[in-house]
Formats: sequence, structure tokens, C-alpha cells
Amino acid sequence: MIRIGAALGALLVIVLALAAPREADAQDARAFVATLGQEAIQVLGPGVPVAQRQARFRELFRDDFDLAGIGQFVLGRYWRVATPQEQQDFLGLFQEYLVRAYSARLGEYGGEPFRVTGVRPNGDESIVNSEIIRPNSSPIAVDWYLIGRGPYKITDVYVGGVSMKVTQRDEFASVIQRNGGRVEALITQLRQKLGVAG
Amino acid sequence: MRVRRLPLILSGLVAAGLAVSGCVAPGTPGAAQTAAAADDFNDPYEDTNRGIFNFNQAVDEDVLVPVAKTYRTVVPPPMQQSLHDFLQNLDGPIIFANDLLQGEVGLAGNTLARLLVNTTIGVGGMFDVAKLMGIPYHTNDLGITFAVWGFRAGPYVVVPVLGPSNPRDLVGQVGDGFGDPGNYVASTLHHYLWAVVARTAVAGIDERSRNIETLADIERTALDNYATIRSLSRQRREAQIRHEQSNLPNPAPVQ
Repeated sequence: MIRIGAALGALLVIVLALAAPREADAQDARAFVATLGQEAIQVLGPGVPVAQRQARFRELFRDDFDLAGIGQFVLGRYWRVATPQEQQDFLGLFQEYLVRAYSARLGEYGGEPFRVTGVRPNGDESIVNSEIIRPNSSPIAVDWYLIGRGPYKITDVYVGGVSMKVTQRDEFASVIQRNGGRVEALITQLRQKLGVAG
Repeated sequence: MRVRRLPLILSGLVAAGLAVSGCVAPGTPGAAQTAAAADDFNDPYEDTNRGIFNFNQAVDEDVLVPVAKTYRTVVPPPMQQSLHDFLQNLDGPIIFANDLLQGEVGLAGNTLARLLVNTTIGVGGMFDVAKLMGIPYHTNDLGITFAVWGFRAGPYVVVPVLGPSNPRDLVGQVGDGFGDPGNYVASTLHHYLWAVVARTAVAGIDERSRNIETLADIERTALDNYATIRSLSRQRREAQIRHEQSNLPNPAPVQ
């Protein structure tokens, strides 16, 4: 009897030990997104100069996003076709493209109230749900996919059920396909768009 | 008389369209031996679609955006909001019917409650009182119903003026139009077709006036605006079919 009790006790301790950090993780993931979302929305707010907005987004992508993983996903099957040099060039340009595109596209959500609504595990990742509350419209759901613990990295953001990563992949794949499957063509177009010398 | 015959012709079209979109199932080897682009993006008519897309962009720039901007400057914001709420309430019966057709009893209850509250306390739908009471709006239509029933979308199609769609959604739109009691009420005052056109136009201006900046920002920053809008509209529609609330701006100007 005592032995069963001890065994159960030990089991309980193990279960608690396993469960506790998971719970803490979930809380951390929430806090991570809450801080990040708050900052992003503040910097998007009206009256923030474009240069400052882009500088902050640049930092945000570099520090908090899994840019290598996202870049690889976004190139899709062309990642393997690309030369190491092309891969490197692409990742650099892609980061700057994200900064320019998303600091502009998300501009309309600037200054709106933002709140984290939930978190759930998804394989190795955590999905943190949040919403942007707009006075005259329905709230917009923003779901953040995170990997890692401790330093989290964002792997994708869904805005209103639409994956930013998938949208980007579809666009780049179209550019490559319309240029005879050459990754180089995408790199050239990115350079032109960003006004960066080759 | 003409008014009564039109639904008949169109219901024939609905049936034909459903048959077509039902046939375009993947996994029929041989039938889908198209280019890589068509496979990836379900867009076998890409060249034609791009042509219509460019035409739509021109119409958007020259007509829709100026009208939407004028609307936004001339009409006071509270009136804009009321018109928006009114149009949304007008869609109530169709949303309710589709909620039921999909077996979404909870959603149907929400829609019915919203319709009752907003039509009465909300003065014919001009005020979204139900939202304040914590009953949120959701969209629904026959295209979503067909998807829930297992019909496939069929190829991506860009429709002149109306924008991104597919056979399933086009058939759904026609079906919704004919099932909508609002259109019949309006047709007692004017010709049926004019009632539908007027309502679509007003809804289009309302929708467009809410998205001017977002769509301009996408167009300005995209490498390939056509491919971006194609991806956004497909994903947005898929989210609606999963009944996730997708409140992203509609990439189609009018729908």
C-alpha cells in the first residue's frame, strides 16, 4: 500500500515537473507576443516617421523572426535549385523586402488596441492568438507561430486567417516561374524594388 | 413576366456551373497535365486572368477609388457606419439560410438574433445593436455552403469588375442573389435587375472605401501584385470556409 502510494507520489512529482515548465512556457509565449505586438503597433501608429518605423521593423525581424527558416520556406522548391551565393543574396534582400512591405501594409492597424487571447501548442511550435480591436469594424485575428523557448523565434504570422509566409511564397514562386524558373530573376527584381545595387 | 423567367434561366446556369466545378476534381490523372504554374496556383487561364486583372485595376483606379474617396469625404462617418450596418443587416436572411444549410446551428442562432435585434431596436438595421450586446457578425454565403458540402472551387477566375473568384463562388453568388428576400422586396419598387445592380454598387463602394489604403500599400510594395492578390483571396476564402473570422480587407473590389 505504502509502496503504491510512494509510486503514485513519485509519478505525481514527475508529472508536475513536466507540466510546470510547459505552463510557464505558455505564459512566456503569451508575454513575448504581447510585448512584441504592443511595440509593433505603437511603431505603426500615426505620426511615427517612415525611417524610424522601418528601423524598428528591421530590428524586430532580425531579433524575433526565424528569417533563415522563413526565407527557405518562401523560396520553396527553388531553395534547393539556388546556388549558395543566391541563397545568401536572397536572404539579405528578403529581410529588407519584409521590412519595407510590412511596415507599409500593416500601417492601418497602427495605434489600435491589441490583446493576446490564447495560446496552444502545435507540435514543436506554440500558436499565440491575439486580436487587433478596431472601433468601427470587427476585430482582426492575428495568430503568431513560435518556435524555441527562452528566445522565441516567430516562424509565421496569420492575419485574418491568411498566412504571411504562404502569401510571400506564392508571390515569389510566380515571379520565378514567369522568368523561366530562374531564382536569379527574383533576386534582380528584389534589388530593383529595393533600389539596391547588385 | 420577364422577371419570373430570369431566375429559371439562371437556376439552369447554377446547375450547369455546379456540374462543371464538381468535375474539376484533382486526382484525375491526365486531365490535369498542365504547366507547373497552373498546378501550383490552380490558375490554368492565367494569361486571360492577368488581362482582366489589369483591366480591373484600371477601372479601380479611374472609377472605384475616386468614387470611394468622394464617398468618404462627402458622407459623414456616422452615416457611413450606418449604411455599412444596414447593408450587413440586409445580408442577414441569406447568411441565416446558409448557416442552416451548413448545419451550423450556433451560427444560425447568432444570425437570427442579430437580424431580430438590429431590424427592430437597430432601426431597420442602421445600428448594429447586436454587436454591442456581444453577438458578433459573421459572413456566410452559398459559395461557402457548396465548399462545406464538398464541391471543389474549380479554377481561379478573375471576373471583370467583380474581381477574384472561381466557378463555385460565382454559382453561389447567383444562387444567393435569387434566394435573397431583400432583392424581391426591392423589385416591387423597381425592376429586379436594377435593384440587384444598385445594391451591389452601393455595397461595392462601402467595401472599397474601407480598403483604399491597404490595397494601395499592397500594390505599391508587391513584386507581383496579381500573384499576391491571388494568394490572399484564396487563403481568405479558405479561412471563411473553415469559419474562422477573416476580417482582412477584401481583395476583390465589389464582391
